[in-house]
Amino acid sequence: MAQSMLELANVESSYGPVQALRGVSLSVPEGRIVTVLGANGAGKSTILKTISGIIDPQKGQVKLRGVEIQGRAPDQVVRAGVVHVPEGREVFPLLSVEDNLRMGAYTRRDPDGVAQDLEAVFGYFPVLRERAQQEAGQLSGGQQQMLAIARALLAKPQLMLMDEPSLGLSPKLTKEIFEIIVRINRERGTTILLVEQNAHMALKIADWGYVLEVGRIVMEDSCARLAEKEDIREFYLGVKAEGVRGKRRWKKKKQWR
Amino acid sequence: MEEEKAVALSADALPFGAQPADMGPEIDTVPKMFLRGVERRSAQVILRQKAFGIWQSVGWETLGRIVREVGMGLVALGYAPGEVVSILSNTNREWVYADLGALCAAGVVNGIYPTDAPTQVEYLLADSASVFAFVEDEEQLDKVLEVRERLPALRKIIVFDMEGLRDLDDPQVMSLEALRALGAEHDAAHPDEWRRRIAVRRPEDLAILVYTSGTTGKPKGAMISHANIMATLAAYQASFPQDARDERMCFLPLCHIAERIGGEYHALYTGAVMNYVENPETVPENVREIAPTVFTAVPRVWEKFYSGVLIALRDSSRLQQWAYKAAIDIGRRVAALREARAPVPAGLRLAFWLARRLVLDNVRKAIGVHRARVLITGAAPISPDLVRWFMALGLEMLEVWGQTESCGAVTGNPKDGVKPGSIGIPMAPSEVRLSPEGELLVRGPGVFMGYLNQPEKTAETLKDGWLHTGDVGRVDAEGYFMISDRMKDIIITAGGKNVTPSEWENQLKFSPYITDAVVIGDKRPYLTALIMIDHENVEKYAQEHAIPFSNYASLCRRPEVQALIEGELGKVNQHFARVEQVKRFRLLETKLTAEDEELTPTMKLKRKLVNEKYRDLIESMYAREAA
Repeated sequence: MAQSMLELANVESSYGPVQALRGVSLSVPEGRIVTVLGANGAGKSTILKTISGIIDPQKGQVKLRGVEIQGRAPDQVVRAGVVHVPEGREVFPLLSVEDNLRMGAYTRRDPDGVAQDLEAVFGYFPVLRERAQQEAGQLSGGQQQMLAIARALLAKPQLMLMDEPSLGLSPKLTKEIFEIIVRINRERGTTILLVEQNAHMALKIADWGYVLEVGRIVMEDSCARLAEKEDIREFYLGVKAEGVRGKRRWKKKKQWR
Repeated sequence: MEEEKAVALSADALPFGAQPADMGPEIDTVPKMFLRGVERRSAQVILRQKAFGIWQSVGWETLGRIVREVGMGLVALGYAPGEVVSILSNTNREWVYADLGALCAAGVVNGIYPTDAPTQVEYLLADSASVFAFVEDEEQLDKVLEVRERLPALRKIIVFDMEGLRDLDDPQVMSLEALRALGAEHDAAHPDEWRRRIAVRRPEDLAILVYTSGTTGKPKGAMISHANIMATLAAYQASFPQDARDERMCFLPLCHIAERIGGEYHALYTGAVMNYVENPETVPENVREIAPTVFTAVPRVWEKFYSGVLIALRDSSRLQQWAYKAAIDIGRRVAALREARAPVPAGLRLAFWLARRLVLDNVRKAIGVHRARVLITGAAPISPDLVRWFMALGLEMLEVWGQTESCGAVTGNPKDGVKPGSIGIPMAPSEVRLSPEGELLVRGPGVFMGYLNQPEKTAETLKDGWLHTGDVGRVDAEGYFMISDRMKDIIITAGGKNVTPSEWENQLKFSPYITDAVVIGDKRPYLTALIMIDHENVEKYAQEHAIPFSNYASLCRRPEVQALIEGELGKVNQHFARVEQVKRFRLLETKLTAEDEELTPTMKLKRKLVNEKYRDLIESMYAREAA
């Protein structure tokens, strides 16, 4: 396996008295796409928020290239090369598309590089060039998602944290977005940690996957092997044994093996 | 001190050995016993089950009506005396309705574990020639439907819980509700039939079939007669008296002889209230809600309670930890004196009273055993240290011993003479003696009728009226028996040393980090072990000590976890002679559940199967020596 870009060791995070992460350890190798699957409330977003410094963990380490970054302010984490594409896009609705993109480059001091990257993201998302002067709030959901990813790219990240990019998108758009995520990874060598409920797509594009259940990792494997696991097929991919009656309502117990 | 009062009270009301006043010698079958209960105790509550978050009570009168409807429903479907029904369900009140309904209709009842796979269900239904199958729900129904084509004797499948099955249109399937309606109708047309049916079965007739898990070959159906059951109940009542004021928790599988006889039938015999848990996962909460006064469980449950307390303690303050240690030490001193049957000095008694008041009673409450007059442990060997710990809490823990073939327990520790590590003395009228090879032999009215369809196996087990139990052990001067192991499990090492693996395993299971273990070493130069960790507790340990892990397997592989288990193993090894020490071990990296073939329904590792299935892993523990 390639060298680790990111390592989490025994991370515990909570929202007030509610403990969302109960000891999570995971590793994201450089240049790879790693996905974390899990149901609502499993703690997927919390992992990303803890990495990007929005939440400080009570316990455990977050290491970026071997350097501990847990507890740092979010802007310092961005400067260290980690960008968070939040759930629900969070674009600045009243700024133009271009200004949104420039906000992404806020920490950079190389105008030439920024100009280059701006061209590059217009290459990935031509529609953003067409709408460059429009207010971001007027974009469709899919376009806003594209903008959020593009904005993140402008920070020239080494590691992108993506929180449910498929949320609220049509299957066709989802497919497009995921294709671009793969291209970003392949062409720019950006390491990606992807949190998804759409297990189907995530398992297709990622190299390695973790399954998170109520704040703990219960399973990890290559995505190819995960997609073959019985529990993943039943609980995440919706593939069920038909049974003798042709319909089955009862659920097996999850065993995670 | 409330508990003490309860003890004294019921001891007054029920002198040692007294039978329930309303159960005379004429009550010689389960149906008659049930009918007598309905007639004489109609106003009392007999069982409760939690439904939608509320404990719902069922009185004797209601139970009598439901059972009659179920039984008459079967009669309406053409149920003939002596025919077998099977019940495939978790432990719940419907199980009892079906069981008693069929027994009172002069039938025979066989229980099937809800964790069994369809192929096992098929074998058990076919071998028992079941004509009706009661199933819990959709999930269990699907198992039977999958195999029903190969079961020509099976006439109807009756479903307890129809959720998700409203649209099902299958002439062979009906709901329990429909069966009861049918029964009520049939009863109205044939009002004398019910009593006639109840009188049909004789004491010597077959009552229930209990299949033994069978680590080798196919499961064997042990045939238990009404006389076996009634004699065992009388012996239980003499040794562990209970009455209508007692609360019991019913949660072990009813297909197992322990819960069936010691739980269901003993409660029906005496009127003690049965409380049925919601499901196997809710047991820890349900114990605290019920706070049973008489509590029968298997060692695994007691181990869980104990390790739960230890783990909770680790999260508590230093003062609490100190208080616990001080209190339990006092408890242990009292327990040691009681074990030695020596008087407890007044000063120590006072200290113990304080320790209970301040600390130990809270520990008991946290578990849910604060009202328990007696804890009974059986069905598997228990670590003597664990028994001592419960005694140190001021509880009575009595280990019993028996097997399916003896219709449950035939020896037990008497209340005033507990010897941890022993299975106690024979419970009259059963006799127990040792064969020249050291095997325990049992004779008495509880000894079963034989195995269904397997006369040669029966002949191997029953010789001249003595049941050959397959357990080897010894007896001390006071007549207390000690079990060293199953006869077939004894290991003879390459050096010719006889080793009894379960002694070592039971010591190891006392560790909160270990659930079960299998010692290996037959014809080997030294002993090794395969160990199953306690997921929850080891996970917690890893998290506290910042040991990164992701899933179960990666947790097992962590060197720190390996070291933790090695440490636990070292502690146990100290108690054994060099040749009996375990030199190497491996952890099982798959989290096993009751559905897995490696575990018995009571969650014990199956020695033989584990030995075969993990052969490579076992060989790896001997590899270096060979090279």
